[in-house]
Amino acid sequence: MSERMREHLYHAVLWLVALVFFAPVFWIVLSSFKTAPQILAVPPILFFRPTFANYAKLFADPTFEHHFFNSVVLSVLAVLIAVAVSFLAAFSFSRFRPAATNFLMFLLLSIRMLPGSAAILPVYLMYVAFGWKDNFIAMTLFYAMFSIPFSVWILKGFIDGVSPRFDETGVVNGASWFSIIAKLTLPQVYPGVVAALIFNFIFVWNEFLFNYIIGGINTSNIPVLLATNLSQGGGIDWTFLSALTTVYILPPILGVYFFQRYLLVGMTFGTVRGEV
Amino acid sequence: MLGNDPLIRTVGRVEVAAASPSRRGSADRGHTGFVTFLGRREVLPSVLIAPVVIFFIIWNTIPTLWLIGLSFYRFSLTSGRAPIFSGFYNYVSIINDGATWLDLSRTFIFVVLAVGIETVAGFFLGLLFWGSDRLPGRRVALTLLFAPMVVTPVAAGTFWRLIYDPTFGVLDWFITLLGFPAVRFLSDANLAFWAVLAVDIWMWTPFMVLMAMAGLGSVPRAELEAAEIDRLTLWQRFRLVILYHGKFILMLGILLRTIDAFKTMDLIFDMTYGGPGTATKLVAMTLFRSAFESFNMGSSSALAVILLLISIAFTATFLYVLYIRERRAAEA
Repeated sequence: MSERMREHLYHAVLWLVALVFFAPVFWIVLSSFKTAPQILAVPPILFFRPTFANYAKLFADPTFEHHFFNSVVLSVLAVLIAVAVSFLAAFSFSRFRPAATNFLMFLLLSIRMLPGSAAILPVYLMYVAFGWKDNFIAMTLFYAMFSIPFSVWILKGFIDGVSPRFDETGVVNGASWFSIIAKLTLPQVYPGVVAALIFNFIFVWNEFLFNYIIGGINTSNIPVLLATNLSQGGGIDWTFLSALTTVYILPPILGVYFFQRYLLVGMTFGTVRGEV
Repeated sequence: MLGNDPLIRTVGRVEVAAASPSRRGSADRGHTGFVTFLGRREVLPSVLIAPVVIFFIIWNTIPTLWLIGLSFYRFSLTSGRAPIFSGFYNYVSIINDGATWLDLSRTFIFVVLAVGIETVAGFFLGLLFWGSDRLPGRRVALTLLFAPMVVTPVAAGTFWRLIYDPTFGVLDWFITLLGFPAVRFLSDANLAFWAVLAVDIWMWTPFMVLMAMAGLGSVPRAELEAAEIDRLTLWQRFRLVILYHGKFILMLGILLRTIDAFKTMDLIFDMTYGGPGTATKLVAMTLFRSAFESFNMGSSSALAVILLLISIAFTATFLYVLYIRERRAAEA
């Protein structure tokens, strides 16, 4: 076999692996363009005339609009708050190393290592006692809190990589601390900020359990709609679910495409750097 | 403390002192007295951490203390009675309860199988993708490969139910086509565990591929070439060069995956809800059901505290590996 042929074969194998992993996702996307009998048909139909009726129905549905709106606002707000607050803390941890730095970093990380139901149980008790359940602001702030550990870890790693000589130059030239943080450091850790934003966004976007437990009709997002719609049992509306799923998984997948260089840092709490 | 300060350590006291009049001058002109106070070198570090600490106290410290306190009480939300102090009763009854141990061992088997298979498969696929620099459409291919791990877990549960469905699912159609009887993947007590495990493997093998690619990427080309020239066997090259450089990233990957597999919840909630019977009841689901179905808050709190201790042990191990890696890097 010639060198060229071998390379073609190798590339074909790689594409095949990628397609195998994507096949289950592709199946639901395909289903969303089918009519109800086509989805349930045996044997499964691969070639058909696509219909957009499922999408038309989905976008006209007020339940969808309400939950989708919640999903977007919750994830955007929570992540912006978390990253802003975490950036300041990460700067402090990295530059001044206050007394309890290591302990606080450990504590922050341990929140994210806890099984979801154990993390949410005490918060549920508190929210019930304070009457904060099903409150949009309380929900947003909880998500912000949950996004902080990741953001602090990732941003501290990036700020550690910026030489303190920039700060020194700033201090010597009479810059205020605000300028040093916002104008000297921030632009240099821009990739870290983007990674923190994207990966926390994906986390909150996909999050189901917390919203299900401490949320309610005012705050519930699409994952809650998906899970409760499905567990109702009996006749499942697959046309609705497949169109909804397709719309909802699109942003995270686009996120991976556009921010692939941050994927590694994003999936490992900033502890592994580099690109693939 | 001052000796650790990067500013003072590198600039030196004299220069900072010389520069300080102009700094104070500009600050006074621009801000009020309070803001200047906040910007002072002694308070600034605390001011910067304050928002995170406040978040932390309200949403973590207070609830956690609440949880620990409640774990010593007998308390059910449905009974409407006030909590009764019961000492270590909740802990003792969890330890004596065979069902909890069964759920824990089921979780353990799940974690070992999932992480083991994902690591081996991920490493081999990582090796396969190692030389993929010239792959046409590489970015799209990698996006498709990595898609499973960013897809909403609840949504993944949804479409896997469609695939696993015994009457119109693709998988059962295929099985009957081969002449075997149809299988009820999610409602057969012997199969449901494996069906869920398979979905977890589908979802997270890409993560191990990512970590393996990163680990392999950190192996210096020159050393590999030197090993080739020295006629090392493939196994020696793998052990002495690849594993030597890549092992920390791989180890971090395995640890992160272990912690995550231990938390598995969304997928199960959607696909089987822990059933049939207790076939897919992992410990996160156990806690969910005892807390938010039976509303037994006292004993659920005790279980949550136990899980908290397990997670702290995981976190400590993770940080220990990070620490070793940093020390190695400093020595090299």
